[in-house]
Amino acid sequence: MVYGWVLHPGANRDTSLVSLRYDYRTDFVLMVAETYSSEGNTAQAVRQIAQLGPESPVNYVIQALAYAAQMRYSSVDLILIQNLSNALQTWSPMPEGFVP
Amino acid sequence: MTRERRRTRKDNNTDTGNGNLYLLTGLIIGLLLGLVISWVIAPIKFVDTAPNSLRSSLKDEYRLLIATAYHSNDNLPRALARLELLGDPSPILALTTQAQVLLKSGDINGKAFYLAFLIDAIKNASVSQSGTTSSLIELPTDNNTGTIDGAFTKTPLLDSTITPFSHLSDTPSATQIPKIILKSQQNICDSPEEALLLMIDVFDASNQPIPGVEIIISWANGEEHIFTGLQPENGVGYADYLMSPKINYGIRFVSGGVSIANLAAPDCPNSQGATRMGGLKLVFQQP
Repeated sequence: MVYGWVLHPGANRDTSLVSLRYDYRTDFVLMVAETYSSEGNTAQAVRQIAQLGPESPVNYVIQALAYAAQMRYSSVDLILIQNLSNALQTWSPMPEGFVP
Repeated sequence: MTRERRRTRKDNNTDTGNGNLYLLTGLIIGLLLGLVISWVIAPIKFVDTAPNSLRSSLKDEYRLLIATAYHSNDNLPRALARLELLGDPSPILALTTQAQVLLKSGDINGKAFYLAFLIDAIKNASVSQSGTTSSLIELPTDNNTGTIDGAFTKTPLLDSTITPFSHLSDTPSATQIPKIILKSQQNICDSPEEALLLMIDVFDASNQPIPGVEIIISWANGEEHIFTGLQPENGVGYADYLMSPKINYGIRFVSGGVSIANLAAPDCPNSQGATRMGGLKLVFQQP
């Protein structure tokens, strides 16, 4: 077990975004928020945030906002994350086959 | 009496042999069980990882996100700090390679633009600081710690773990990249495998090859972007493009510099008096 867990832990070394440390997750959300601020593509932001785990994307943004506030991110960054959070809370995917 | 003693000794030997066999079997079963538990039943789960441990495809996505975020916030120190987290040996080469792969695959979403935008910004910043692009080849990887001016100034955790780019200013100066000029142009006729190949080498003022230079190859109704350094076996300042016969091409550099028109694969005479298409070799250098 020492070999399997410590010396040679198999193919699990290539990790996903799910296992990112909290500060990196927050920065990831901030990057999405920065991109969203200029592109305004909510669907893309949802897809990117959804890679952080199985929860609803908006939850990750809210968690990131709380962490960013706790760590005293700049007000500009906090506003960006807040705006993304607002966008995700009001966003709903267009139903399939929907024709405006 | 003697016969009985011999039998007893023989029984003892058999018991010892069986005991060794049981021990060995138990050891093997234990090892296999340990591996099954540690690899299958309860494999190690990595938590609190850093971006440098992401699998390759996610690193590409992360890198692209860094570029799009930079396009939005224009904060180069922050973009550099984020790139450093990915642990690429040469961030600019990683960006260039990713841009090239995107362009080759059609890049229907136009994402390569953001990568190229960031590449240019890094090069501009490096040049404005050092006066030469040679520092682009190796971004700093030393283990000094500290804060990055303008980057994550309010995020102590990142401040304490990322590598500083102290040589880069917070606001990159608008200093122009030294213009690239054509140093030599040569028709290649003696190498059939280089037929129709437009070969480009780019060097800096100190004669060092420059990777990651974006070059636009244009023709009458189209253009294509290529980057130096994607074939390191030919030199990190090398790029090439396969021309079509009888088409005139133009070359220009995204970073500025010389612009050349009317380039075409040369007609090379062979020993029978006929001609075949040759290649072209251009060498560019910063003055």
